[in-house]
Amino acid sequence: MICENCKQRPAKVTVTQVHNGEHFERHYCEVCANSLHPFYVEYKQDPLSLHQLLSNWFSQTEQQPMQQKQQKNTIACDECGWSIQRFLDEGKFGCANCYNSFRPQLPNVFKRLHNGNMKHIGKAPGALGEKIAIKKRIEAIRSQMKDAIDTESFEEAAKLRDEARDLESQLSTGGDQTDVN
Amino acid sequence: MSIEHFLDNSISSWMAGVGKHSDIVMSTRIRLARNLNGYRFPLAFTEDEAHKIDQSVSATLLDASDELQMQFSSIHIKDVSELSRQVLVEKHLISPKLANSPMTGSVLLSNDESVSVMVNEEDHIRIQCLFPGLQIQEAYAQADVLDRVLDKELSYAFDEQFGYLTSCPTNTGTGLRASVMMHLPALTMTKQMNRIVTIISRLGMVVRGIYGEGSEALGNVYQVSNQTTLGKSEEDILADLQSITEQIIQKEREARDALLKHSANTLEDRLYRSLGTLSFARIMATDEAARCLSDVRLGIDIGLIEDVDVSILNECMVFMQPGFLQKYAGTSLNTSERDMFRAKLLRERLQKEEKQKTKGEESE
Ligand SMILES: [Zn+2]
Ligand SMILES: [Zn+2]
Repeated sequence: MICENCKQRPAKVTVTQVHNGEHFERHYCEVCANSLHPFYVEYKQDPLSLHQLLSNWFSQTEQQPMQQKQQKNTIACDECGWSIQRFLDEGKFGCANCYNSFRPQLPNVFKRLHNGNMKHIGKAPGALGEKIAIKKRIEAIRSQMKDAIDTESFEEAAKLRDEARDLESQLSTGGDQTDVN
Repeated sequence: MSIEHFLDNSISSWMAGVGKHSDIVMSTRIRLARNLNGYRFPLAFTEDEAHKIDQSVSATLLDASDELQMQFSSIHIKDVSELSRQVLVEKHLISPKLANSPMTGSVLLSNDESVSVMVNEEDHIRIQCLFPGLQIQEAYAQADVLDRVLDKELSYAFDEQFGYLTSCPTNTGTGLRASVMMHLPALTMTKQMNRIVTIISRLGMVVRGIYGEGSEALGNVYQVSNQTTLGKSEEDILADLQSITEQIIQKEREARDALLKHSANTLEDRLYRSLGTLSFARIMATDEAARCLSDVRLGIDIGLIEDVDVSILNECMVFMQPGFLQKYAGTSLNTSERDMFRAKLLRERLQKEEKQKTKGEESE
């Protein structure tokens, strides 16, 4: 598609305009979009490049036999009904269960999007999150303890050891009470 | 509080021009994306699901106002006129996506506009905290408190391997987007931005013009944010952004010093010309206004221009947008009418400064 304004460069940005309650879609190149609607365009994610990225990844698996590829294409999420092809087309998931439905394919997708990373290591919700927070605190205390021993502050080290023990017992009893599933 | 409170005033708390490094960092924003178990994501859900999500999220936040020591106003997007939605977008309080959504959705705003929680945007919940200056840890701490309050009452979609499950795979994991909005005129004038953009992109971060795209950012205002959300802890994401931001600040200061040292006269001439243009021009397109505002702001920051408030760039970049102009004018305006009205508002904004200045001198 060619930019509606300059009719020269390829259109890369879609601007939704509202006139008298009606929505109009305008397609501009980046240069014209900037000068015409500098504030209105949502640039936060570039759906084009994400889509490209995803389809590039998908075409890399093309060496596989045709049948297997087609089968892969038609895997669908039983919660929202989206196929993996739709996920690749939209660059979005339909629901949380899509992550389960497409699980085997996802590490490859994420690797490309997140600098080679495939596993979450941050915060977690609910009881699981509290457990992780406690574990982190224990780790921090342990490293403080090491420093204390290195500088021969044994009293300080003993205090830290007790603190870590308290947290550890909290972790084991907490785990029994709130079963994380 | 009524929606008018948020519409009438172009000034939000983040524009105050305070906070650390506020001569270069205009604001810090933290965004957390969250979804609830038991409902499909907004791209696939039904109106019934949308309604239930909206009710439970809104009720949870409104009930927690004591605990949070924060009063929220809940605004249902469907109840708001097109123009008012546009104004909320221009203030960055909601996204264009939420403004144009056909489904039930709302935004919960704290009275000072530093916190906005969007319901049923691309994800069920988007927590946003906007602080003036460079305050990455402070803004995250605020977002984290809100997140914990919601987590206590609602059940988040989460997976041990993938973390917080979001509609877009670019947010999966922490769901955290941390960004700083920076005014980098000297790096732009000295043509160093392209190089910086390239370097930063290799570090898993992105630089964009917040009012525009790429290296030609309108008003020399850039946004630096993390791109990676999976496989990195919140602490590491924030620490990396902090360190990159500090390095950019350092480079911008060096570039400002170099400009002052090697071309003080040319710089002074340019900055005062821009002040003159803003004070007297009758027709002002967006890009010219943005360039002049950036110059005046730089003039203030390096001590060349006095008696103009530092918040001028933050504030004018918001109120000179189409939605605001039409809200102020009380009528719809075509492009050339907008350019004239924009020039008028900018003149008045600067005259207000001038009047306050002479008043101050008289009373002395
Ligand atoms: Zn064009
Ligand atoms: Zn699904």
